[in-house]
Amino acid sequence: MRSLLLKAPARPWTWKHNGRAACLARSYAVQAPGAPTVEVFDARTKLLHKERAAANTTQSRQVDYLRDEVAVRLCDRILDINRPFPRILDYGANACNIARRLTRPDPDPDSAKPFKEPISKKIGSITCADTSPTLLYRDQDEAWNKEINIQREVLRNPEYLPYEAETFDAVLSSMSLHWINDLPSVLMQINNCLKPDAPFVAAMSGGDSLYELRGSLQLAEQERLGGIGTHTSPLADVRDVGNLLNRAGFKLLTVDVDDIIVDYPNTLALMSDLQAMGESNAALRREPGGISKDVLLSTEAIYRELYGEQQEDGSITIPATFRIIYMIGWKEGEGQQKPLERGSGDVNLKDLFDSDTGSKGN
Amino acid sequence: MPGRTRPIEKFAEATAKCSPEGAVYGKCIAANYQNAKKDLCAKEFMALKDCYLKAAGRKS
Repeated sequence: MRSLLLKAPARPWTWKHNGRAACLARSYAVQAPGAPTVEVFDARTKLLHKERAAANTTQSRQVDYLRDEVAVRLCDRILDINRPFPRILDYGANACNIARRLTRPDPDPDSAKPFKEPISKKIGSITCADTSPTLLYRDQDEAWNKEINIQREVLRNPEYLPYEAETFDAVLSSMSLHWINDLPSVLMQINNCLKPDAPFVAAMSGGDSLYELRGSLQLAEQERLGGIGTHTSPLADVRDVGNLLNRAGFKLLTVDVDDIIVDYPNTLALMSDLQAMGESNAALRREPGGISKDVLLSTEAIYRELYGEQQEDGSITIPATFRIIYMIGWKEGEGQQKPLERGSGDVNLKDLFDSDTGSKGN
Repeated sequence: MPGRTRPIEKFAEATAKCSPEGAVYGKCIAANYQNAKKDLCAKEFMALKDCYLKAAGRKS
């Protein structure tokens, strides 16, 4: 037994001298495809949050202000793409907020070339997919449903798109990508189900969203309990989004950031609105049992002191920042514009700027 | 559910009555926020909590 044990470590040495054997041994090395996925969010909890929030229809509609605003801004970006879309997908549709905004008449009043018809006239059909049936079907009896050819589809798995390759002329997504665990995989699937030279237009909350709440909660917990827990999700940064899209094979990327600041009367109003949106914390490593009353009391005082703003009528409101990242990526296709090769430019940018300021002076 | 006040609304109402105490506590934290540790402003917090308990109509 002893001799066997001693022999075992000697084997690599013999292989090292024999190049052929080493080569053979290496060819058996197996690596799992892709990087191992990290589970950050609890998909089941998220589904429960959304279902519960949507069950209270009135309240759920009341807190649609954020999603509606983002949907409007997203629709502005779709307006810039001058082509018809026979078939599009809204992935992570929530209450079909995008579809509703697409039917809005006169979507572009301030532009030099006004576009009077609702964008839905350019759209053949839209498939709205989400995991939560209650939220998805919440507005199905509203009048706007008749103005757009809409199908609703409940997703079994939030991170799996059950569509064939090259199905859609555009994929949209608004305010739901921030709950995806495996963003690279989902983006790749989106790329796969797009037709060649078709755009992916999305908005997600990211970066420093709700930094005021995050900071106040951390200070409050630090002071009251002596440590901090996870109460807000980790979010993607603007830089990450560019990299992710690139990795998923999208071309001609456009990524930009927009801050939406909402004023609330107090932190509890902010928290209950987030809950009514179905955006409660669903991190896997969250603390069970929620936040204690002491910490809530402390958070309220800290938030008010650090960020509170005096309004004209003397009351103090607290601002909450939602940082929305907008992204547009195109699937590679024939005849698509490509960036020129590095160093191939023959116009000096300095000259361009000089002539620009010169013309302004005239 | 008409007529039913959610606990969080009651909580918000009671805390709104304690804004002076809250401001004192908030200022204490804001002055030391880079060095926050447990019970840094315990005295100010207890004042705030006493006020809250009174406003919420609880005994003790």
